[in-house]
Amino acid sequence: MATEQSREDELAAEAEELDGYFSDTPLDPQPDYPQLRESFESAVIITNLPKVGESKMDKLTKVVMKLVSRIGTLVENPETGFTGVLMPHDKDNDTTMGFCFAEYTTKEEAKNAVEVLQGYKFDKNHSLSVTLYARAEQLKDLDVKEFQEPQPTPFQEKPNAMSWLEDPNQRDSFVIRHGKETVVNWFDGRNDPILDYDGAREKEAGVQWCEFYCHWSPCGSYLATLVPDRGVILWSGENYEKSGRFVAPGVKHIVFSPEENYILTNNDDPTDPGAIKVYHIPTGKLLRTFPLFPDGVATDIPPPPFLWSHDDQYLARMGDGLISIFETPGMRLLDKRSLAAEGICEFQWSPKANVLVYWAPEAENSPAHVDVIEIPSRKKLRQKNLFNVSRCNMVWQEQGDYLAVKVTRHTKSKKTLYNNIELFRLNEPGVPVEMLDTKDAVMALSFEPRGSRFAMIHAENPSASKVNVSFYDMMKRESQFTYVPELNKIETLEGKQCNVIFWSPAGSNIILASLGDTASGTLEFYDVDSKSLVVKEHYRSNQVIWDPDGRSVATVVSQPIEGGHFKFAMDNGYIIWSFQGKQLYQQSFETFYQFLWRPRERLLSKPEIRKVKKNLKKYEEQFDKADRERQRALYLEETKGKRSERAKIRELLARNRAIRRKQRAEYIALLGGYDSEDDSHYVIRDLTIETVLSTKEEVVT
Amino acid sequence: MRPYLLQGHERPITTIKFNYDGDLLFSASKDLVPSVWRADNGERLGTFNGHKGTVWDLDCDRFTTRLLTASADATCRLWKCETGECLFVFNHRGPVRGVAWAEGSRKFATISDPFVEHNSKIRVFDCPENGDLTDDDVMEIDLPKIGGKRVNPTNIQWTGNNEDLLVAFDNGEIRLYDPETGDLKEEIQAHDKKINRLRFNRDKTLFITSSADFTSKLFDPVDLKHLKTYRTDRPVNDAVISNKKDHILVGGGQDAMSVTTTSGKVGKFETRFFNMVYEDEFGSVKGHFGPINACRSYASGAEDGYVRLHLFDKDYLDMKDPVPEEDEAEEVPPTSQ
Repeated sequence: MATEQSREDELAAEAEELDGYFSDTPLDPQPDYPQLRESFESAVIITNLPKVGESKMDKLTKVVMKLVSRIGTLVENPETGFTGVLMPHDKDNDTTMGFCFAEYTTKEEAKNAVEVLQGYKFDKNHSLSVTLYARAEQLKDLDVKEFQEPQPTPFQEKPNAMSWLEDPNQRDSFVIRHGKETVVNWFDGRNDPILDYDGAREKEAGVQWCEFYCHWSPCGSYLATLVPDRGVILWSGENYEKSGRFVAPGVKHIVFSPEENYILTNNDDPTDPGAIKVYHIPTGKLLRTFPLFPDGVATDIPPPPFLWSHDDQYLARMGDGLISIFETPGMRLLDKRSLAAEGICEFQWSPKANVLVYWAPEAENSPAHVDVIEIPSRKKLRQKNLFNVSRCNMVWQEQGDYLAVKVTRHTKSKKTLYNNIELFRLNEPGVPVEMLDTKDAVMALSFEPRGSRFAMIHAENPSASKVNVSFYDMMKRESQFTYVPELNKIETLEGKQCNVIFWSPAGSNIILASLGDTASGTLEFYDVDSKSLVVKEHYRSNQVIWDPDGRSVATVVSQPIEGGHFKFAMDNGYIIWSFQGKQLYQQSFETFYQFLWRPRERLLSKPEIRKVKKNLKKYEEQFDKADRERQRALYLEETKGKRSERAKIRELLARNRAIRRKQRAEYIALLGGYDSEDDSHYVIRDLTIETVLSTKEEVVT
Repeated sequence: MRPYLLQGHERPITTIKFNYDGDLLFSASKDLVPSVWRADNGERLGTFNGHKGTVWDLDCDRFTTRLLTASADATCRLWKCETGECLFVFNHRGPVRGVAWAEGSRKFATISDPFVEHNSKIRVFDCPENGDLTDDDVMEIDLPKIGGKRVNPTNIQWTGNNEDLLVAFDNGEIRLYDPETGDLKEEIQAHDKKINRLRFNRDKTLFITSSADFTSKLFDPVDLKHLKTYRTDRPVNDAVISNKKDHILVGGGQDAMSVTTTSGKVGKFETRFFNMVYEDEFGSVKGHFGPINACRSYASGAEDGYVRLHLFDKDYLDMKDPVPEEDEAEEVPPTSQ
């Protein structure tokens, strides 16, 4: 008993001694270690970092960390001291190895980092290259260890896209799309158009060279034809050779950049993540694709369009409260961020400068405003606040000197609408803005392409049948040669019937047209300088298109190629008029889709133009002579063909008459012996008819 | 120059024809009463009363003694031109679409539309000047349905010396039949759509067709060969070869269906003038409100029920061929001064 008692005491003492060493909880057979991540899908490798010594290694890591953590959250492990960035260190040389690893929490972040940080200028000499870890693994297994220089592709001479500009007759060119035909014609402003190319080579090969719409490039170098199954084909040179192919299934629209370096295709498919494609024309390289709608933009309205800046440098598109500006040729976001534009409704590039204008309607605490912003500095050149605005429309003068913003305002009750025009002078310091107050509704406004004048259609009531057309000048003539920037009215033409105005590219001539299916198709050719007016009509015409130099103008009745309402299907065709309203040529088709003049750049500088104007007499003579010669050649050619045709018909008629002659006896027998050629059947009588024209009585003195 | 406006018909004019001497103008209309007018001043001489349906066609004989009219009341009537007295009624089994005297005016041919179980028919009747008349034909060509589809004749003419019957069809075909046996001698596909009219020139050395396919075509009747095409942008209802000049006069307009939706100004209701040889349009005469259904020499009749009688002015009559003859002085533009 005693020993038992002592044994118990002993154990109790021992337990007391060991207290704190034993856990009360049972041992866990499977301890809960942090999960080992086996995939490296959220890791990236950043190469082309500077190599630095140990002393600067910490600093470099910090900078890199700061940079990469802007994209997403890095994985951290305080226990192991892992910060998400691992910078390997070459012990032999005591420098970093020029690359590092970074690990994000999700793979989307890693992908985004590859996208955004690619080509990031780390410092003057280092632009980063970022690769997904998994991709790097694949690259490691590549068989080819040695760099093989790619062979340059053999030089292929492209057709001379400028050849048409060397036309000895200085003719303009235009393309028409009708039925299944696409035809390019020459037009010299006088005689009938002459066929240039109608896809004969393709027809022979059994293909149609244009199945959908066609478009000229902005300088006229290329003709783009759309083949919805495949994409876009460019044609150029004297024989319209194929000079570019861009794959774009389902293509509906294309937009050339103003200097013809890039082409943008659009297939209008909201489900296609690559609905919009941007290609580089000379190389044919796909630069970037975009979905039809930018993120966060309602998809039930037409998608915001991409707009090119005048020098091909930027491509911009409106997003939700921002404008995304992409810089060519990399097609990356300019400065990696969009331009914030709260509430933006519409924006436009200046036609001649890297200046953006956008307007936003009234928001809670801020008035509606029109902003003028310089790119790439993003400097706000001008902001104009406006009140009670329902809508704004921006109209540029072609040279980018002036901008008119038609502001549609409403009264407090929002029941009645009225317009006024805000006029911006872009070329003057501070961008001064003038307001033109009209009591009327303004239906259309248009600037003289190279001048300072503009015309607008206005009426008290927007649905009025008779409207007024007013002309204004942004510059006021002080004396013979000096002008001051002051808005002044030139004149108002009252009681006109028109709904659209078209200035001639050469200025001073304007067409007041009433187009559309309810309109009469009246065309009024008005010369603003000499105030002469010619009224013509092209019933049902829906387009007025001036040629690039304002020599002739086409009016067109066309229908959409996709088919449409039957009301478009009648009277299809086009008429070409001289700028003075004389009809030069007319052609009708069962189905007519498109008429496009080939655009031509103004190649002469201002002093050169002045020189031409000075020596106009001399040039006039030259051109007149050339015109006459051409006409003579044409006439001779035509009459030659017509003569032989006429001879053929006459020969046939003579033969048929001879046959009838032989039948004559039989014929007379049929008539019962009556011969109409026998004079005995006729009685010849002389008849004198006297008519008194007037009588006059005079008193003989 | 203002035309004479011949007001007398209350419904669309279907055809107009001058007599051989050119002093009288006969007109047929949907208002049942064919009329005859003086060609020089537009005075109405009289009417031919008796038909109970639209009069589709008429033909006057060589000496303007007897007139034949074809009507939708399934009869073809023979009239005395001078008095307007109906001499005989040739009964048919369906609406009579066309009628044509043979040369010599002792027989004539008619075409009729299908009616109930009767097919379209081409028939030839004897019609002596003095003698008994009967409505038994001397020759009949039955035109049954082919593959369930009907082909209806729209116009009939006799070729020179009554050698053949020249018949135009609503599927664009032209066929030549033997007037004695009724055998089909030749056929050509002249147009894509219905041929509205087929007319000879005065001495039957050329003929012209007018079709709903917007064209009018000139043919050589000897070889039945297509020579020229005159394109317009509306269905062509009638075309004639001018007696005076190498010109073609073309009349037409859009379908009656869509007439009400277009204004007269733009409905292309003009008579267009084409150069016969060069196929180019050089002028037009406006005036009608409605498609022109008939034109002959210088008169036109239209859907509006009016016949317009135009007298050519001096400018037109003096007009020269655009291409000078070999012996004429050429007006070639000078090379340079």
